[in-house]
Amino acid sequence: MALLETADLTVTFGGLRANDSVRIVVEPGSFVGLIGPNGAGKTTFIDAITGYVPSTGAVLFDGEEISRLPVHQRASKGLVRTFQSLELFEDLTVEDNLLVPAQPTRWYTPLLDALHLHRTTAETRDRIDWALDTVGLPHYRDRLPTDLPHGQRKLIGVARALTARPKLVLLDEPAAGLDTAESRVLGVHLRGLLEEGISVFMIDHDMGLVLSVCDYIYVLDFGRIIAEGTPTQIRQDPEVILAYLGESAGEAQAVAADAAGVVEP
Amino acid sequence: MKELLFAALLGLGGGGVYAMLGTGIVTAYKGSGVINFAHGAFAMYAAFVYDELMTTGRLALPWVDILPGDVNLPVFITIQEGGTSELLAVVLALLMAAAIGLLAHLLVFRPLRNAPALGKVIGSVGLMLYLQAVALLNYGPAGRSPEGFVPKEPIFNFLGLGENMPRLNLYLAGCAVIMGVAVWALLRFSRFGLATRAADENEKGASLLGYSPQRLAGLNWVLSALLAGIVGVLFVGSGSLDTTGYTQLIIPALGAALLGGLTSIPLATIGGLALGMFQAGMVELTERSWWPTWLPPAGVRELVPLVVIVGYLYLRGNRLPVRGTVVQRRLPRAPEPRHVLIGAAIPAALAIVLSLIFTSDWEVALTTSILASLLMLSWIVITGYLGQISLVQVSLAGLAAFVAAKLAANLDKVSEFDLLSVSGPNLPDPLAALFGVLAAVGLGLIIGLPAVRIRGVQLAVVTAAAAGPIGLLLLKNEFLFGEAAVSNYPVPRPFWFGTFVGATDPDTASTDYWRFTIFAVIVTVVVALGVAGLRRGATGRRFLAVRANERAAAAAGINVARTKLLGFAIAAAIAGLAGVVQSYRLGSIQPENYGLFASLAAFAFVYLGGITSLYGSVVGGLLVAGGIVAQFIDLHAGGGFEQYVPMIGAIGLILTAILNPEGIALANAELGKGLWRKIRGQRAAPIAEPVPAVGPAAAGGGH
Repeated sequence: MALLETADLTVTFGGLRANDSVRIVVEPGSFVGLIGPNGAGKTTFIDAITGYVPSTGAVLFDGEEISRLPVHQRASKGLVRTFQSLELFEDLTVEDNLLVPAQPTRWYTPLLDALHLHRTTAETRDRIDWALDTVGLPHYRDRLPTDLPHGQRKLIGVARALTARPKLVLLDEPAAGLDTAESRVLGVHLRGLLEEGISVFMIDHDMGLVLSVCDYIYVLDFGRIIAEGTPTQIRQDPEVILAYLGESAGEAQAVAADAAGVVEP
Repeated sequence: MKELLFAALLGLGGGGVYAMLGTGIVTAYKGSGVINFAHGAFAMYAAFVYDELMTTGRLALPWVDILPGDVNLPVFITIQEGGTSELLAVVLALLMAAAIGLLAHLLVFRPLRNAPALGKVIGSVGLMLYLQAVALLNYGPAGRSPEGFVPKEPIFNFLGLGENMPRLNLYLAGCAVIMGVAVWALLRFSRFGLATRAADENEKGASLLGYSPQRLAGLNWVLSALLAGIVGVLFVGSGSLDTTGYTQLIIPALGAALLGGLTSIPLATIGGLALGMFQAGMVELTERSWWPTWLPPAGVRELVPLVVIVGYLYLRGNRLPVRGTVVQRRLPRAPEPRHVLIGAAIPAALAIVLSLIFTSDWEVALTTSILASLLMLSWIVITGYLGQISLVQVSLAGLAAFVAAKLAANLDKVSEFDLLSVSGPNLPDPLAALFGVLAAVGLGLIIGLPAVRIRGVQLAVVTAAAAGPIGLLLLKNEFLFGEAAVSNYPVPRPFWFGTFVGATDPDTASTDYWRFTIFAVIVTVVVALGVAGLRRGATGRRFLAVRANERAAAAAGINVARTKLLGFAIAAAIAGLAGVVQSYRLGSIQPENYGLFASLAAFAFVYLGGITSLYGSVVGGLLVAGGIVAQFIDLHAGGGFEQYVPMIGAIGLILTAILNPEGIALANAELGKGLWRKIRGQRAAPIAEPVPAVGPAAAGGGH
């Protein structure tokens, strides 16, 4: 059974079909990518399956239809996203940012808090250490997000998603703001998530990263899936090259060439 | 049916006032992006200027002479002994309104142009409190009944409906339509209007086209204040003129402006007129025989704007902000409290020692400060931690006090000095207090419901609109609290576990009420420790996460709606407790003391103290009118200082919003830390000093 499956997922803004009958499947333990030109509807797709924009069609997660659930319940079920823009809790330290999803709460938690009885468990602390290690920022616990450069803030966003005990993380351009070397290191760390039992669904503009770390890739253009397949198939797909040629002819060629040089996962 | 139709037509008068004020609010909003809570106060001041000129011929400038001794600040200018002509009075009143608008722009809103939305609200609230305080000092507290220049003779048998229509109502409605059309045309067809609209859409674009956005904003402020002045002068004949009545018109006026989406003058005009008619129609219905007695007409009158505002905003709102919404700038940082036990023990010990030394006036000042601190803790939670602006906390305190007094009441226990006695179930005082607090929590949850979809400044408008109906529908409700509720409600002598914890003991008639002080200190410290625990625990983190970013909070698995309601419930419980404890000191309570202005004044002082930090409530409590600081200055200024506290508080509020949005407590903490490091000769540790991030981060994050 697939971990995440959408069927006929459609999002309309006014008369515009931002997502048009999108069908994707993420198998457990796999690393799936979604690429496409600017404005193709990639972030809208993540918004739709996590409940931020209304959509029609079905979203099955872990065998359950979730398309009617509010955002926070989908997150609690293990479908956790990151954001393309910087959406950290800027008043909280990095550690507190990560504690927000990491620390389980009950209805009586406020009472324990008021009596100064609520303690962070060792398991929660270990989880935060692990998440910060995964994104390569182990020494940033006490920093404020506003002190960090753009790329590192995005990585803290990824770490925050990881502390929420996800079954599937949806990463919206995690490598934006990183240089090529940093983004390769990130790619290796993210592959490591599969061993922790966390599947990954990633949007990124860095074609080198996507082609090197993903097992399976979907290509979105004008809200529709125009191609899907393994990185090798995608690299040779004429439709994909055309979609990217429309943007920047040189880039698509360079991307394909660059990706060919990267070690296959 | 005829009566209903006539009532609705009569409501065109009030509706005209709402429409004209709404037009002015929209004008200021388009010009500067400020939702001006002081708009009603502009009209109020102009009305006083007009009346003063007509009766004494003096013009009172919008400030007060507080300079000591022989140095004098000119305040009153005599234009003509014994009163001026009507025309001169109107012209000078309008000029005064325009001048106030200009000063408001130059001294308040221009300095706040880059401030967060909350800072602008605080600035306009400060301005409103300032004008109100100055009017009180310059014109006295007594209500006036000015003549006005609209002919008094009504139109007999209006439209054959068999009733007489006062001309004033038709004048007001007519003027509203004329004003709406004129301002709309001005903004639509003139160069000034074009530039304003350009600046409204995109400030940078307008300045690239060669317009100065700030000069445009200034012109719009003058225009807006002038419109308020016109309302003030027109409405002056409607009956009584005092400092609160006009100022409170801001609620239905904001309703009209919101119906116009804060941008459309025609819609605001129509909305205002419709609101007035609907309101008058509803009040007419309360006179029918089938109308339930537990819904008093005065309360229904206040309830109508609230229902309209909430309904409109709720339907337009989203559960989560949509992508790309500009997140309103954050509140000041909310530091995690450290050294909690020592931090609580020192002020508590100090207060208890002082209470044993103090007598009479000082004791009163001390308890006033402690009780204010306790109440302010509710704002630390709801606004400081959770980021929701609530202006009903004092109303909630009032409800708790009334419920507790009613439940503890027993005819035998009431002191012989009370004129009206109250019957009640005679519950033990702690139990009655608990039910009072629970009632406040219940109401707080209802108030919190709109916050699920309504955010920021608009939520402040909603809660401000709720204060009136709470007072008139719940507190001043004979059905709930008996006939004493409409005047002076006696509070039974409170005993907690056999100990008298009230202030004035009728047995000894002593004012040295240290027992009450200790009781209040214990309650305040326990609540403060609880709030510190919330901040340090998962609950506080979740509150701050919601405050910072609702979208991201939901992604982190937080139920944003439930978290907000939890915050409203906790804050309501604290406010309710503060209300009950305060009622023990007062001995008798009046619904009038639990209104919007009481909330605004307390909110002003806690913001001044520092709304995101526990010490903010301590500092705010010390500063309130009647508190320790006021008592101290009063002693050294040779008395009479008390009257200036509201005005100075208002100025302090504006200055805090401009200079130091973190409030006094945090600013001093930073100062203290800096000094301590210098003394110790250490290098400054790199903790939590926000350094502007490099490159694209500065654009994305900001702070």
